[in-house]
Parts: sequence; structure tokens; C-alpha cells
Amino acid sequence: MENTKEQALSQVKKDLKEMLVSGLSLDDVTPDEIKDDEPLFGEGLGLDSLDAVEIVVLLQRNFNIEVKDMDQGREIFQSVNTLADYVIKNRK
Amino acid sequence: MKGERVLITGCGAVSAAGMNRSETLDVFARGQRNAGPVTLFETALPYPVFEVREIPRAFFLEGQRTLSLALIAADEALGEARLSKDLSSYRVGVCMGTTVASQLNDIEFYRSYRTHGSAPMTAAHRYVNGNIAEHLARAVKARGPSLTVVNACSSGTDAIGVALSWLRSGLCDIALAGGADEMNRIPLCGFGSLGIVNEGLCAPFDRDRQGLNLGEGAGVLVLETAASARRRGNAADLYLAGYGSESDAYHLTAPHPEGVGLRASINRALAESGIAPQDVSFVNAHGTGTIDNDVVEGKVLRDLFGADVTMLSTKGFTGHTLGAAGGLEAVFTAAGLQEGWIPASIGFSTLDEDIGLAPARKKTTITGRYALSTSLAFGGNNAALVVGRDGKA
Amino acid sequence: MNIYGMGVLFNRGRGIASYEAALRQGWQKPSEVEAPYGPGGTYPVYQVDLEQIPDRTILKKMRRSDKLSKMAVLAAHDAVDDCGIPDIRQKNVGIIVATGHGAHPTTFEFLDGILDFGEAAASPTVFSNSVHNAAASYIASVLDIHGPTLTVTQFLFSFQAALQLAKVWLEEERCDYVLVGSADLYGEVMGYIGNSMLTTADDGKIRPFHFKPSSHVPGEGSVFFLAGNGPSQSVYCSVADVSVGGDQGDGAPADLIILDADGMLPDETAYLASVSGDIPAASYTPLFGSMMTGSAFTCAAGALMLKNQVLYPNPVVDNPHDVRLLKEKTDAPARAIHCIRYNAHAERAVINLRGAP
Repeated sequence: MENTKEQALSQVKKDLKEMLVSGLSLDDVTPDEIKDDEPLFGEGLGLDSLDAVEIVVLLQRNFNIEVKDMDQGREIFQSVNTLADYVIKNRK
Repeated sequence: MKGERVLITGCGAVSAAGMNRSETLDVFARGQRNAGPVTLFETALPYPVFEVREIPRAFFLEGQRTLSLALIAADEALGEARLSKDLSSYRVGVCMGTTVASQLNDIEFYRSYRTHGSAPMTAAHRYVNGNIAEHLARAVKARGPSLTVVNACSSGTDAIGVALSWLRSGLCDIALAGGADEMNRIPLCGFGSLGIVNEGLCAPFDRDRQGLNLGEGAGVLVLETAASARRRGNAADLYLAGYGSESDAYHLTAPHPEGVGLRASINRALAESGIAPQDVSFVNAHGTGTIDNDVVEGKVLRDLFGADVTMLSTKGFTGHTLGAAGGLEAVFTAAGLQEGWIPASIGFSTLDEDIGLAPARKKTTITGRYALSTSLAFGGNNAALVVGRDGKA
Repeated sequence: MNIYGMGVLFNRGRGIASYEAALRQGWQKPSEVEAPYGPGGTYPVYQVDLEQIPDRTILKKMRRSDKLSKMAVLAAHDAVDDCGIPDIRQKNVGIIVATGHGAHPTTFEFLDGILDFGEAAASPTVFSNSVHNAAASYIASVLDIHGPTLTVTQFLFSFQAALQLAKVWLEEERCDYVLVGSADLYGEVMGYIGNSMLTTADDGKIRPFHFKPSSHVPGEGSVFFLAGNGPSQSVYCSVADVSVGGDQGDGAPADLIILDADGMLPDETAYLASVSGDIPAASYTPLFGSMMTGSAFTCAAGALMLKNQVLYPNPVVDNPHDVRLLKEKTDAPARAIHCIRYNAHAERAVINLRGAP
């Protein structure tokens, strides 16, 4: 049981990284190079406010998950780890 | 500033706040907000909008609502300027700002193309015949320069700035200038996705503001060199004193946090007008009600004009009318000087300490001779106009 | 108004040298594009292949941008680079971008998002890039230019109106220099509309002097000029006058008349009123294709010829109306060139270029 959970989480992280690279047109980083705990905004991956709202739409399209407002987004969008936790908890 | 004074001899405005200027001023005075759900197309989006009540039959053009709105406002402006709708005996330029009317974005056309590989050409014909400046120029037989400005949300203000340059340089003697935009699904979805549309009514500069409401309308000025007005035996005590436009060179959607471009635009407009910040009696701010716009704009206005500057946003009455906003707000700015009052900045109730500036809480008397109107746009465009009123009137 | 620098991006490459080579070498068959819908088959398009454009620095700063913005930034960058004004970075530079149709493929991509995923899940990035002034915004931010920035559209006269405004801005000292140019794009849907409303030249050859029936071959690209009113040393040429519609005088004498006839109007016989038995005529539209802002390419050709003191011959010389055509390369001194475009209402726009003194 634990094992499948681990596998599911790891798959979600992989999917999320691919989603970020292609959905945000990140051209100088590959999905594998994004670290799970790397900050997405500011120092780190260097994403900005337009990327943030794009991630909202990407989550909706790829995982059928809604992010209601950007206050909530700030918590969820810290890193691939926080994104993955949110996806696992809210996936329908 | 070199060259002759450029007078404002006519104004026209149509928006959810009224089909003309006097209706609008009544709505302003009453503090009435004519917002409601979208009726012009079916949508699942929950956003209230500011739609124009009804297009009068004489101005109705199938599938070309933006043009209809422009014609309504132009008709009122020409009437006030005592000009007929045949301007062929004058040197007239037409410069109009828009966003929606400049794009082929008919979703039914595209759906048909995508599904069947073909689509009726009706939408395409409307599009190629729908250049707003060209259409308006043809409608009034203007023979001077015509140009459609597509500078996103500062388009209307920039179009008026272009017309000012034309008039000063002698390319024309009279210009119709302003902006028009219709309520449309594309910007509603686009701004919605950007997370800046309010599910309630907008509250410009308020601490608890939750975003903008979209609106539609048109605002048109008749601008005219003093010499041309004299020749026609016309007089006006309102004039366009200056225009400034500078870019942030910063980001596609976010304003520069320090508002560098806005600050430079306002300074340029003041310098062109030969006035100092203390000469400005009120500021008609862009004030969309989004978190980012209002904090940046508010800070710049507080820095330049002080924390007790008289200012307002009329977006609470009209919604954000995109390409029309600069045109409508130029008309409202001129009206404030002429009528001697501005309405309460509707929607505002609680001061935002981060901005440190409160817009007008009630109908406010205006006695000065200059007023400023600002626009900020996508892509970091910023534009500012100074309207003047002659003291002797 | 003097032209100090130019940047050109089109089907045959990036840079003035590529454009000069095209003017020298003459017509080449364009590539064929598959018609994705309808009866099938292919049709000719002069497309820009950004993959083949050497650049790894400028486009890096605009990962999210679409093709229109990328083309415009490359051409605008090259015009600034080319101008040779050492303190240009310290000057107040304005930007005016003329576009006939804007980023229409990006608008349709946004519509795809609405149709596929619903109104609440359309991409904000795609929307932002579909706004007409996105290209100008990228030019300002990538090149760090803070002056007035304007995007305008007036269909076939978009570029002329922009150039006219640039001249006015300089005269009233709104800015020290203006970066003024054009950007237009080919797209499948606009291609479909073009095929429905106009005649496409099946062999890919625009015949500018046929006039009626005319035929078009869609093109795309971007041209920018760095213009100013400073000293006239080391300039391409000066823009003596731009008149758009309305009343026009007979105009100053010219050594060459360049027509923008490119099949964008079903009937282009209006151009016959502007040719003369005394002055040779040319049209270079077969080199870059039909587009609303093709006039910017014509203007660049005129500027190059005045600078180099060489007149390049017509790439396509089919001539049923017996127009006096420039058929040979000519080294005789050239002082003035008129660039002429007509619109759907048979109104005329003229750009008068004059050689540097």
C-alpha cells in the first residue's frame, strides 16, 4: 500500500515537472533538472505572476483541479513538492 | 508648447452609465451602478459586466457592435461641435483606439472552420470592413489621416494623443479621436484566466478590492485647432493641453512596481501643458480595481500630487471598457472641469494603507483649470492627458 | 526624417544582406503548405522559418512569446544595431509597430483553449500574447526602450500611417528617434480566408503588373527602421514625405516608382494611374509575398537602393499593360524613389524617399 502511494506521488511529480516545462515554455531547463523542493518563484526556477495564473489553468486542464484564488495559490505553488501534495489530495 | 491651442469642441460618451453625456452625468450624480450578468452572449462565467442598454436602430450594424458604439459617441460629439455628418469640406483626421474590433475572433466562425474545414465568410467580411478609424472616417467623409490604435487598455488615450500630434503638425484642422470597445467573450475569458476579474462589483483603490469588471462603450472628442474653430465661428473653453506616453519596458502583463512609465508619462503631459502638479485640480485615474494596477497607480499619484489629491476612478460606473476607456475618461475629465464637479469614486469605502490615498468619497466641487486622465495598459504602456479650461468662461 | 538603421526578417532570412541578396538574385519559388482542411492539396506561402534564424540571445529573453513578437523583436533589434549611433541607448526612442492583422494564430490558439477546455480554462499566457501590442511590449522590454510605444493598424495603409506618425513625433520632439516598422504573420485560418476572398497564384509567382485579375501569395515577416532628424551622414536615405489618402499633389520627380501591387486587392488597376512613361516602375512583392504591411519591405528596398546607388530590376516582368518596367540593374545616380500602395477604396498612399545629400 505504502509502496503504491510512493509510486503515485513520484508519478505526479514527474507529470507536474513535464507540465511546467512544456506549459510554461521553460526553454533552459528539462523536467529532470527541476528539484522537488526547488522554489518555483523568485530565486529558483524564476517564475513570475503570469506563470502563476498559467499554472492555475494547467492544473485545471491536466488534473481537473481548481485553485480558487491566488492567496491559496501562494501556499500551493511553492515547489513541486507542495504542488504534488495538493494534486494528490484534490484529484477527482 | 509650440503651435496653436487644440480645443475640445465636442464630446460624446456612451457606456452602461448612459447613452450620452447628460444621462451619464445624472447616473454619476446618483451614484448608480448599471451592472448585471452578461446578456450579449451565452457564458458560464460568473462575472457581472457593464453593458450598454440598447443600440438605437439608426446606429445598429449587424455583428459590428464596436462600430455602432463609436458612431453613437461620434454623433453626439459632432453635434456639440456644431458639425454635420459630412465633413468633406474640412481637413479632418480620425484616430480611434480599440482592442476587440481589431481582431478576427468570431468564435462561431472559428468553430465552423475547425469542425468542417470551412466557414461562412460573413465574419471575415465584417472583420475586413471593420477597421474602426476607417469606418468612422468614411461615415463622416473625413479626408485626413485615419488610424486605429491598438495599444490595449491605453488605446483611447493614445489615440487622442496621436490626434493632438496631427493637429499640432498641421496634418489636419479637426480630428475625431477616442476609443470604442464592445463586450466580448475573448477579453472576458482572457482577463478571467488572468485572475483579475471580480465576481462582485469593482472597488477601485479600496483595500478589499477583488479585481475589475468589464464594460463596453465609446468616448469620442472633437479636437480642433483654435484657428479652425474661429473660422467656423465656434468657441470652446476646453482644450487638450498635453499628452505623455512612456513604456515600462518591464513585463507583458504586470505594471512596473514603481510605476516608472506612468510617472514619466504624467511628467511629460504636465510639461507639455506648461503646468506643475499643484495646478492639477483632479485626476481621473485608470483605477481598474485590480490589486496590482491600483497600488502602482495610487503610489505614483500620491508621490506626484500628494496624499490629499482630489482623484477618482469612473470604472465603478462603466466597468473597464478597454480600448474605449481612454476616450470615455477624457470625456468625463472634460465634463468635470466644465460642470465644476466630479462624482464619488463609486465602489470605494476603505483606505488601503499600502496606497495611502483615498479617491473622492462623495460628489466633489471642482474649481481648477486643469485635470489629468491616466491610462495603464498590458505590455507596460502608460499614457496621460491634461485637459485645460479657460479661466474666462 | 532620416533612416539610420534597418532590420529585415523575411522568407529568405534575417538581415539586410539577405534582403539585398534577394533583390539581386530575383524571384524564387516559395515553399508549399498543406491545406489542412477543405479539398486538400498544397498552396504557396513565403514563410519565415525561425528555426533557421541564427539567434541564441535575444529570443532567450522571450520564452513565452509567439512568432509575431519574435519576428518583430529580431527585426527591431537589428535596426537599432545597424544604426551606428553610439549613444542611442541614452536617447529617448519611441516605438511604432504597424500590423495588418496582429497575432491572429495566437488568437485562434486562445479560441482553441476555450473550445477544448471551456471558458474558465483558457490560457492567460496565450491571451496576453494575442493582444495586438504584445510585440511592441517585447520590443520595449527586450531592447530596454522606454519612450512612447504604440501599435497601430490600418490594414493596407498600416505602415504608411505609422511612418507618417513617426515623422510627426520627431518634428514635435516627442522623442529623439523612432523605431518604426511592421510585423505580419501567415496563419492557416487567415490563409483560408485569403484563398476564399482573393486569388492565389498557384505557381507561387505574384505578377504585380497584371493588376486584374490579380493573384497573391501570402508572405510574412518584419521590417524595422531606426529613424531620426539628426545629421544626414551615414544614412540610408531620408523620408521626404508620407501622404496617405486625401488630396495629394503631383509629387516631386522620381528616378523609380515602386508599386506595392501584391494581389491583396482583387482588382489593382488603380495602380495604372500612378505609372508613367517617363519613370520606370518596379515591384518587389514577389520576393517577400503578399501582406498588409508589405509596404515596409518596399520602403526598405527603396532605402537600400538609394544608399547603394543601384536600382535592382523587377523580379517578375509579366507586363500585359505595357508599363515602363525597370528590367536591368541600373547604376545611374538615383536621387528619389516613390513607394506607392493603393487600398480597397482606390485611395493612394505615397512614401517619398530621397537619397542623402
